[in-house]
Amino acid sequence: MGKYIAKRLLLLIPALIAVLIIVFALMRMTPGSAVDALVYKLTSAGIPADRASAEAMLGMDKPAVEQFFIWFGDLLRGDMGNSFFQSESVWNIIKTRMPVTLELGIMTLLISLCISIPCGLYCAARQDSVSDYSIRVVGVVMMSVPVFWIATLVLIYPALWWQYAPPTHYISFIESPAENLRMFLPPAILGALMQAGMELRMVRTVVLETMRQDYIRTAWAKGVGERTILFKHSLRNAMIPVVTGIGGALSMMIGGSVILENMFNIPGMGAQVVNSLDNRDYPVVQGCVLIFALFIMIVNLVVDIAYKWIDPRVELK
Amino acid sequence: MNFLKTLFKKKPIGGAGLVILVFFVILAIASDWIAPYPMVNGVMQSDVINSLSPSTPEHLFGTDSLGRDVLSYMIYGARTSVILGITCTVLTTIVSVVIGVSSAVIGGKFDLILQRFVDGWTCIPGILLLLIIMGMLGNGILQLIFAISIPMGIAGSRMIRSAAISVKDSGYMKMSSILGAPSWWKMIKHVVPNIMPLILMGLAGSLGGIILMEASMNFLGYGVEPGTPSWGYLITDQGRSYMYQAPWLAVYPGIAISLMVFASAMFGDAVRDILDPRLKGGVGSYSSEKIEKQVARMLGGRALIK
Repeated sequence: MGKYIAKRLLLLIPALIAVLIIVFALMRMTPGSAVDALVYKLTSAGIPADRASAEAMLGMDKPAVEQFFIWFGDLLRGDMGNSFFQSESVWNIIKTRMPVTLELGIMTLLISLCISIPCGLYCAARQDSVSDYSIRVVGVVMMSVPVFWIATLVLIYPALWWQYAPPTHYISFIESPAENLRMFLPPAILGALMQAGMELRMVRTVVLETMRQDYIRTAWAKGVGERTILFKHSLRNAMIPVVTGIGGALSMMIGGSVILENMFNIPGMGAQVVNSLDNRDYPVVQGCVLIFALFIMIVNLVVDIAYKWIDPRVELK
Repeated sequence: MNFLKTLFKKKPIGGAGLVILVFFVILAIASDWIAPYPMVNGVMQSDVINSLSPSTPEHLFGTDSLGRDVLSYMIYGARTSVILGITCTVLTTIVSVVIGVSSAVIGGKFDLILQRFVDGWTCIPGILLLLIIMGMLGNGILQLIFAISIPMGIAGSRMIRSAAISVKDSGYMKMSSILGAPSWWKMIKHVVPNIMPLILMGLAGSLGGIILMEASMNFLGYGVEPGTPSWGYLITDQGRSYMYQAPWLAVYPGIAISLMVFASAMFGDAVRDILDPRLKGGVGSYSSEKIEKQVARMLGGRALIK
């Protein structure tokens, strides 16, 4: 096990280097607008600046390879640069916004699992019945409905009918848990519904597959009750692919959070990326994308290790 | 024809999905004739006196703040969605196939390095990549096609690569190598036809996601140019700005997007079920071991490795 983890950590390095190169290349392909943004910022602050001096300030007058290594060296020292428009370092911005996004992500995940596992299990137990069919159709509908549309409707109609609007002022969980949850629950539920549609289909398929196994037939034959078979024999094995699926779902969830954070005024990293992109604040965008990518990498690693831990039969390569 | 028959007989919901998609395609092609207030010189007509009116016999779906007829706007929006949906799906598949197949067939260092970049690329959330690329290129329909197809194609290349590798190990590929066939010939002649069901599955399966992605990008303001009718943009530009005076502006385009994504998803699922290579004798239906043994015998019993 220790050897496997070490090997996986080593394999992380080339992928990480690839991520660094991709993020760097994407950001450097727009040198013009980054320089323009800085010139605009400096002149509006009363400092005379032209393109050449702004380029020198950004270190863009050096060759690309040299720029990459300078950037990489700074990263190793924990320096992600400074924001063009907020007088703060990128790392400070990310530090305050990361917990918010994490909270939203974890809540979304928990709610979606609370919906999808029971529904998926029920569908599998009553395969091809009317309720199975309707739950599945509802699942596909949940996947098809764009989350930004439902969120727009949630902002419009409760306000029109009951004068209710979700709070727009962020209060941290430690300060006031109730206020914090009132703000986070609506977006988390919306994100979870989209997620649950996908998960419940997966749970259903996997449970149905395990139900066809020999050991389940043995359990039926020796007179074990349906409930025990479903929860104890089948669900436990079915959870393995579901856990791995969570890793894959994460990237989509972050996509959803970018939209939801924007709409519900939640000061997370997703909202920050879109705002910074609107302002052409490239160092912040670069930092956020890098942190998101790192996060997904680590989660994928943890999921793979958890896979082995849940299912001892899995052979590690 | 045979495929359609199976689709409608065995997968009626998938068939219904196809019918809905065809309906949208007809709207897209014939929008100039169907729309009650067609575009004049590429600009939507506006009835300023009746702006923000709810649905009336003259304007079935009401009008927006500029007095444009929402029904007509949405019919033209279908054109944008259909164009984006079809071109992006085809391009995404082409990108996936080119990367996946070449990586598998050429192999070696090329495969190793390319796959590390694919690994890294898939770690970055798709919507962020799209936002950055669109931020770079600026708004527009061509830019959006490029920004959607490349990232999604790269992400999809993994599946194609693993299928291509399974074909690569089969006997006829080894025979082809022995006969001195160049890589491109092997790719076009042997690999692509053998993973065709998988490619078609990917084609049908990615349509829903692409339409959703396109609508999300338009919603975030990084999509087509503001003058081009688009459902996602209607929600963000009109629906959110006038959400209390004219809530219907946000309702109709959302229904259209959902319907199109739903139809694509159902159609994609049905195509997958019909074409699934595990159910049919597609990939791996050649018994590679048998051929390998024959080849080995021909070459005097020497084992064939690479």
